[in-house]
Amino acid sequence: MNRPEIQDVLYEAPGPKTRRRIRLFTILALLLLAGLLAAIVRQFAVTGQFQPKYWFFFARLTTWRFLGEGLVTTLGAALVGSALAFGMGFLLMRGKIRRNPVLRWLCTALIEFTRGVPTLLFIYFFFLIVPGTGWKLSAFWKITLPCAISACGVVAEALRSGVNAVPKGQREAALSLGYRETKLFYRIIFPQAIRFVIPSLIAELVIVLKDTTFASIVSCADLMQNAKVLISNYDALLSIYLVVAVIYILINYMLNRLSDRVARLLKGNGSAERRAA
Amino acid sequence: MAPTPMIELRQVNKHYGRLHVLQNISLTIGKGEVVVVIGPSGSGKSTLCRAINRLETIDSGEIFIEGQPLPQEGKPLAEMRSRIGMVFQSFNLFAHRTILDNVMMAPMDVKGISKAEARKEAMRLLERVGVADQAKKVPAQLSGGQQQRAAIARALAMHPDVMLFDEPTSALDPEMIGEVLSVMTELAREGMTMLVVTHEMNFARSVSDRVLFMEGGCILEDSPSEEFFLQPREERARAFIQSVQESRK
Repeated sequence: MNRPEIQDVLYEAPGPKTRRRIRLFTILALLLLAGLLAAIVRQFAVTGQFQPKYWFFFARLTTWRFLGEGLVTTLGAALVGSALAFGMGFLLMRGKIRRNPVLRWLCTALIEFTRGVPTLLFIYFFFLIVPGTGWKLSAFWKITLPCAISACGVVAEALRSGVNAVPKGQREAALSLGYRETKLFYRIIFPQAIRFVIPSLIAELVIVLKDTTFASIVSCADLMQNAKVLISNYDALLSIYLVVAVIYILINYMLNRLSDRVARLLKGNGSAERRAA
Repeated sequence: MAPTPMIELRQVNKHYGRLHVLQNISLTIGKGEVVVVIGPSGSGKSTLCRAINRLETIDSGEIFIEGQPLPQEGKPLAEMRSRIGMVFQSFNLFAHRTILDNVMMAPMDVKGISKAEARKEAMRLLERVGVADQAKKVPAQLSGGQQQRAAIARALAMHPDVMLFDEPTSALDPEMIGEVLSVMTELAREGMTMLVVTHEMNFARSVSDRVLFMEGGCILEDSPSEEFFLQPREERARAFIQSVQESRK
């Protein structure tokens, strides 16, 4: 399939002079990158970061099992948190598009509040204040709930923009056939709205996943927390953070790829089938 | 006593801000009558059409469907709307569902008809408007003419007593207008009550019983089609017909 690249949309096709210039800059950029990499490696060597004492434990299965357990908790918190954020965001969105002014105002206020307050403050709330009320929460929920609350306002706004993007004619056609509001929303409007916003919803999942790295504050044994345990165990900071960063990057990269694929699938299904027909 | 008209408007008024889009409109359409509304853009003809199923609210006046006042909200309004089919300029097929689903959905969701029955009826209607072979595709894969014919089938699936057409061919490429008009012509021959907002003079002339000429929110002329085209009473109507016909040459 021949999809146009963004560059083809933004710029005209390069001529001979431009092509030479592009080649020159490419070479310069590569040289710069190689130099930077060499400098980093040199700095590692000079400071002794390549010494076996910083790396030998990665050969042990227990290290990976420990990190793996943390990863499972991280993914669990991210998934459960996102599901909760979706549910709460959906309710907030429904409230905000209602005609009832009190409900609309309340939902708008909640959306702005959850969007405006940093995740860390919600975490401190669940860590420091909630236990005082006698509400016993496990460490998992102490990180998952604040991450979900922090994301739900953004999800609500994303869903609302999707609902707004559904053409007015869809609604009018359904009304003219005798649909009433509730069925009209769930059968006609929302299924279309969700397609428009799946990429932004997956992007929000990435943010929730990154927010869960605060889990160590509430002593929830996520990937980050377990990494910190390893660090104090082996007195090896840089090597462990490096490996953990790579793991986070890989997961988020996969999520972003998924988002691209889903977006292309939803957008392209019409034209692809037409070509096949 | 005269039979109850299918549609009756009594002194209907509507404003958009300071613009008086419907001025004291009174109108009756009998059962089985085909009425075409023509007039320049901005004359209020679409608003008139959309007021009949309350997609546009009115400021004053009364609208009756088969003698019953048009309900203002809720279930009675939805039930009344289900008896009034509507075809839009931009088709408005449900973009996320197949053509077959588009025709099946409302009978199932609104009338509670079984899936098997809805499917049978939908296929019969798609066959009738000539797009049965497209049933499994989504609207974006069809030509404009095919989409509009499917949209007519979707409206007919509710077995409406009257059909409203709001410029059904205005968004179509010229070569597709004919296929939609022929479906509409057939529908008219079968005795469907129709109100058609259009610029298609040939259709108005050969299919409709009556022509309404609107301008500036008023019905300037309401004549039998023959009469209207042979000798329009209003000077404005005459000029309009002429300008439309010239642009089509």
